[in-house]
Amino acid sequence: MSTKDTQLSRRDFIVRSMATGSGLALGIGFTTGAIPGARAATEAAEAFTPSIWFTMMPNGHTTVHIVKSEMGQHIGTALAQIVADELEVDWQHVTLDYPEGSAENFAVYGLAYTVNSGSVTTEFDRLSRSGAAGRIALVEAGTALLGTNVEDAVAANSRVTDSVSGRSIAYSEILSQTTIERRFAYPDDFRDIPRKDPADYKIIGQSMPAHDIPSKTNGSARYGIDVFIPNMAYGALVLPRARYGAKALSVDDTKAQSIPGYIQAVTVDDSFGKCTGWVVAIAETFPAAMNAAKALEVEWDAGPHGDVSLEGLLTEYRALQADPEMGAPWVDQGDVDGSLANADEVLEAEYTTDMVVHATMEPLNATVHRVGDTWHVHTGTQSTSFARMTLTAYLAHFLGQPAEEIKVVVHQRVLGGGFGGKQDYDEILAAAYCSHQVARPVKLIQTRETTFATSFPRTPTLHKLRGSIQGGAFTAMQHDIVCGYMGPRFSVGKAYGSDWLQLDADDGSGRDIDQWSIGGSDHWYTLANHRVRAINHDQTTWAVQASALRTVSNSYNYFVVESFLDEVAHRLGKDPLDLRLSMLTGEGGSRGIPNAGYEPGTGSDYYMDRLWISLPWPAENSWIPYESATVGGAKRLANVLRVAAGKAGYGKRMPKNHGMGLAVSAAEERQSPTWVAGVAEVAVDPESGEIDLQKLTIAMDMGIAINPVNAVAQIKGAALWGASQVLSERLTVKDGAFEQHNFDTYLPIRLSQVPEIDVEIVESGNHPSGVGEPSSTVVAPAVANAVFNAVGVRMRHMPITADAVKAAIQAT
Amino acid sequence: MVALTINGYSYLVDAPPDTPLLWVIREELRLAGTKYGCGIGLCGSCTVHVNGEAVRSCMVQAGDVEGTSITTIEGLHYADSHPVQQAWVELQVPQCGYCQSGQIMQAAALIAANPAPSRDEIVEAMDGNLCRCATYSSIVGAVERAAQIAGSEA
Repeated sequence: MSTKDTQLSRRDFIVRSMATGSGLALGIGFTTGAIPGARAATEAAEAFTPSIWFTMMPNGHTTVHIVKSEMGQHIGTALAQIVADELEVDWQHVTLDYPEGSAENFAVYGLAYTVNSGSVTTEFDRLSRSGAAGRIALVEAGTALLGTNVEDAVAANSRVTDSVSGRSIAYSEILSQTTIERRFAYPDDFRDIPRKDPADYKIIGQSMPAHDIPSKTNGSARYGIDVFIPNMAYGALVLPRARYGAKALSVDDTKAQSIPGYIQAVTVDDSFGKCTGWVVAIAETFPAAMNAAKALEVEWDAGPHGDVSLEGLLTEYRALQADPEMGAPWVDQGDVDGSLANADEVLEAEYTTDMVVHATMEPLNATVHRVGDTWHVHTGTQSTSFARMTLTAYLAHFLGQPAEEIKVVVHQRVLGGGFGGKQDYDEILAAAYCSHQVARPVKLIQTRETTFATSFPRTPTLHKLRGSIQGGAFTAMQHDIVCGYMGPRFSVGKAYGSDWLQLDADDGSGRDIDQWSIGGSDHWYTLANHRVRAINHDQTTWAVQASALRTVSNSYNYFVVESFLDEVAHRLGKDPLDLRLSMLTGEGGSRGIPNAGYEPGTGSDYYMDRLWISLPWPAENSWIPYESATVGGAKRLANVLRVAAGKAGYGKRMPKNHGMGLAVSAAEERQSPTWVAGVAEVAVDPESGEIDLQKLTIAMDMGIAINPVNAVAQIKGAALWGASQVLSERLTVKDGAFEQHNFDTYLPIRLSQVPEIDVEIVESGNHPSGVGEPSSTVVAPAVANAVFNAVGVRMRHMPITADAVKAAIQAT
Repeated sequence: MVALTINGYSYLVDAPPDTPLLWVIREELRLAGTKYGCGIGLCGSCTVHVNGEAVRSCMVQAGDVEGTSITTIEGLHYADSHPVQQAWVELQVPQCGYCQSGQIMQAAALIAANPAPSRDEIVEAMDGNLCRCATYSSIVGAVERAAQIAGSEA
């Protein structure tokens, strides 16, 4: 060691083992600057924080640090597989840990945020390269100890072996006998680190048992709701008067006073724009808190959204759509107006979709307590980082203290479902406020009823489609979308004045487009004239608290695009399969971008890049993959479509009132597609309108399936999520409040409704993309198209209810 | 005070007798593997065994099950390797896992009563257990596998 260690370059990626009190450890990471507080060599060693991704102990045991949330996708196991394969470490020696959300860890690990089916897509690159970097360093050190040549060395199963002499040395022996200091200049050396040929993968591509599964079969997995803190009180929320903007004017707790264990009612400070109108009953037990919440008499001001109803919103959507001045173009290619003006026929259709909610099996909850000047949060969240930032800002707000003086630590728990529904932090804020009021730890548990009432649903949407048919060909498409953007109200934006979900429209109008509310409409078909006009209905955003729900806007936009494409095919007298294949040529903008390295913060189009650079942390801790999941473009979509159609026997003769329908999608984002095709087989009862979904066939190209058994499970689960949305899930709003409060009226799919599901993984060997969400997007349009093929009615509203099918049949 | 026998242990709990059994198990006794999902008996996350039968603990008052033998997920098997648990791990059933204690307790009660259930019987017995991750396809196969394991252990 020398003092130069105090001057680590900001642009080096280092692999190093060093002396510690307990022996040797190997840390690997991307340096973030000079070591804080380091003054001399020995102190430098102590101060060195092996920065990120994984740590190998001197006994060879390797811990992969997971800053992604475990919410059912077994992401820790998948990420560890990526590291372990390149590191050539024995899988039996690999464990996981989940760093807590603290300011210190934020500086080391960067943003902890699990969304967008993006974990493998964004992490594969750096994890595989860092695993390879570790292997290179161990091989160099091992051959030095053996006195053999690096070129002759082979690393496998945590050993370095000289292929000439056959002598070998274990990783644990290397770490025990020497120190390692190996640097890779960033970005050039790091980008050039040799990685395995996928054909040589030993751990990637194997269905390693998920690390988190045993604890989920014996009751030992600890979710947010399972936290117990000494001297803890419980909080139960009073059902608010309106979803957003209500104000509790007065609270009368006379009746609650007689409930044993009742402590007090807390009207949560909502001047921050969160938890509006929240009144929490605090008690010694949760049953007492629930009883007290019901006994509290609250006088309300319903607020500015107290009269919002679904019907009213749709009326306003139609008015916005009818005004050509509204909104901004998200896609604008060719001459759509000219093509429509010269069309032989213009096909028009209006589509609408209802709200749906996450309804995670674990109701929303948070436990907060203060120890000294540190606020501890225990919950399962999709972002410990944003949870910490948001609570810090809220505490600064209501305590009247500078944010810099407030310390928050978020202790991550297993999530009982996420689906986009655990990236708002209202329970955390309310629990913190209540904890401050009663000066005790508070565990706030939302009942199922209040979980529904305060949920963050997918926006209602309205779509106007116009297709130009000219000379027997489909020549142009205009797609207007009206919905409530989620971006403007996102809590982190609120807390930081950041508009990180907003992308400016390209027309220079300055009118914003929220990519996450519009994405998916920019489909991968080759169509010379294509325009998407995005129109925000601002009150929806606030009144229903529109948010991200599994695949976000893809779930409604692919329903619309893929249904409309079938309408066009039928009008042209073409088979929908043939029309799709003729348009999935991978030309022009549907080509996909080639592998190309680009630097964080250089203004690329990658959506996560915009997210990273718009938030306040070191750019070095963000990461943009060198490679792109878009390689191959629409040709990969054509490929999976052929596979799915073939596997499903598309085109075979069907019994009366039976039909098959197909659809493709490339969720999640334009820059991070997973290529998927689906075929639905339905039988429709023409008398009742009941749809019997009998079979789903899904073909998916995610590049590389890190863990095939888990990938298939995710694909099936997501496909059933799509089935549930198209057939039965529906949330409505009336007088500003949601009308469904439990599983008696909000109806997720059950076992008896599950169709046969046939999944085919198509591995192209390209950069891997996510599997947790995309298959859900093809199910709704495939079902709608199948219903049309079965009974000849075009269903343009999601969900497709039996009553609607029956009415449509009767109208023909 | 309520006197309960859970997983073979006797407990005296300072709770009103009309307290739902779920909250006594979870929050008083901190056997937190039993989960709260809906509170109205429609999701099955809170399923436990009372005298061997699967019941929704959110719908049962603690005072009504005094003198019975209650089993939670923690007490299903001394080594966490009941045939259903073995099958659940072997087939990698859980995703988020939150509903799985209830699914496992429901399945265990099913194969105790019906050692070789048909597919239709499995669907009928398990239909009241919601899984938002929709692990349903795995669940059917895992119940069949559990019955097979139980048969070979008998």
